[in-house]
Amino acid sequence: MKEFLMLIREEANYGELSAEEMQACIEKHYHWVEELKKKGQYKEAQPLDAGGAYIKGRKKIVSDGPFLEGKECVSGYYILLATSLEEAVEIAKGNPDLDWDRTVEVREIMPMDEQ
Amino acid sequence: MEDTGQLLAHFFREHSGRMIASLARVFGIAQLDNILDAVQDTFETAVSHWRYHGMPADPPAWLLRVARNKLVNTIKRSARQVPLKDVHMAQVSTADGDPFFSIGDGTATDSQVQLLVACCHPALGERDRILITLHILCGFGVPELANALRMNNEAVKKALQRSKAALLRRNIQLDPQAAKRATRQSATVCTILYLMFNEGYKATRDEKGINTDLCYEAMRLAKLLCPIAPPSAEVNALLALMFFNAARFPARLMVYGDWIPLAEQDRTLWDRQLLAEGFHYLECAKQSDFAGKYYLEALIASLHCTAKYFEETDWGIILSLYRLLEDLEPSTLIQLNRLVAESYACGPFAVIAELEAITPDERPGTAFLLQMVKAHVYERIGSSEQANNAYSAALPLAQNPLDIKFIRKRMRAL
Repeated sequence: MKEFLMLIREEANYGELSAEEMQACIEKHYHWVEELKKKGQYKEAQPLDAGGAYIKGRKKIVSDGPFLEGKECVSGYYILLATSLEEAVEIAKGNPDLDWDRTVEVREIMPMDEQ
Repeated sequence: MEDTGQLLAHFFREHSGRMIASLARVFGIAQLDNILDAVQDTFETAVSHWRYHGMPADPPAWLLRVARNKLVNTIKRSARQVPLKDVHMAQVSTADGDPFFSIGDGTATDSQVQLLVACCHPALGERDRILITLHILCGFGVPELANALRMNNEAVKKALQRSKAALLRRNIQLDPQAAKRATRQSATVCTILYLMFNEGYKATRDEKGINTDLCYEAMRLAKLLCPIAPPSAEVNALLALMFFNAARFPARLMVYGDWIPLAEQDRTLWDRQLLAEGFHYLECAKQSDFAGKYYLEALIASLHCTAKYFEETDWGIILSLYRLLEDLEPSTLIQLNRLVAESYACGPFAVIAELEAITPDERPGTAFLLQMVKAHVYERIGSSEQANNAYSAALPLAQNPLDIKFIRKRMRAL
């Protein structure tokens, strides 16, 4: 089984989701994650705060990230378990974030002890 | 709840009102803007966290704790120089022995009722009152309100600002004494909830025909008044009326979205449970001798609901109830309803002279309804030409795509 990092990109503010929409968003995710757990495809997941900083180059220039309104940023990540990138992509296609037109990126985590 | 991960339907919406009411009681209504922001912010935080981590063990407590903390932080940040009495008051608490979190359902409901009464205060226009009530007590956001009441976002925002300013000016106190006083104003609340329900039920804006959300929110809020209000005949009667109407939603629309007139509805589709609840509230309302407008309307609805077939409807009694209603509150709308009942009780020819003499009042939709009733009556006596004329006159007055669809269908059938 290989591990895949799935990044969720979305606008830093959630737009103007209503109470009902937010509830729908949570419920869809909850059920999706439960499904992944049942199938043994879920390892962990964390949300990321919209605030943050970039530190760049030798001069170590610190700047606020592009975590501003209207800009897409990484809002959270999942570690998925799958046998291949193709399978991981299929899993990622089920992510309800896509229903809100967010972007999902899937990358294989390279194992340390490659033989 | 944590086991299944299921939130009750409309959990956020309902808790939005509860949280705002609880926070306003502790921190004061003067903090309304900050409270609204904190609650909105809390939901957004919940979306981030619950999406990844699943639901916390006790979602309501989690929400209230997060919202309280956010609010305290905002107040601290924005008003360091202001005496922090209120903030301290809300902070003398640890997670367990916290008076804030021991708020029972009763207290939360009390606060919500007071807030509801404040939102329905007659100082505001009717539409403004519906908007602010849905916003504060039901968690409706701006786009949702704009959609439900067919306004643009800017107009909604302005209306909300106006209403919030009015709320703040009155500087209401949310405390148990005030809760008692508030119940005396349940009549003004009933008016707004009745309008809210009708907004969802009749003035139906979209393809779906009925905005059940508005109807169910109006019902939920009316229920809040029940345990607190001294057994108010008006509240019970209003609830009975709402439940009878809601029970008929499924039969009123076909799956593909067509109006089904009462005479053609499949009565087996009526929701038995909602009907039963309607009869329960009607029974409660009967305990008092006060026969108000909602009571009469609920009685009429109950008569429709007890007839197994359209032909079984007791039009004689319905007619007399509409007459009482007309005496109580004369309007073209009630007159038209009475004439429909009369046309079934005494035959369609009996009402034509009166129908033709009507000049509709200003209320929206009345002119449209007049043409529809005329068309219906002429259709029944076989005057296709007059029926066709009335339908043609109704077409440009129709507000709803379903109405237009319905009229075209009837015209083709003539």
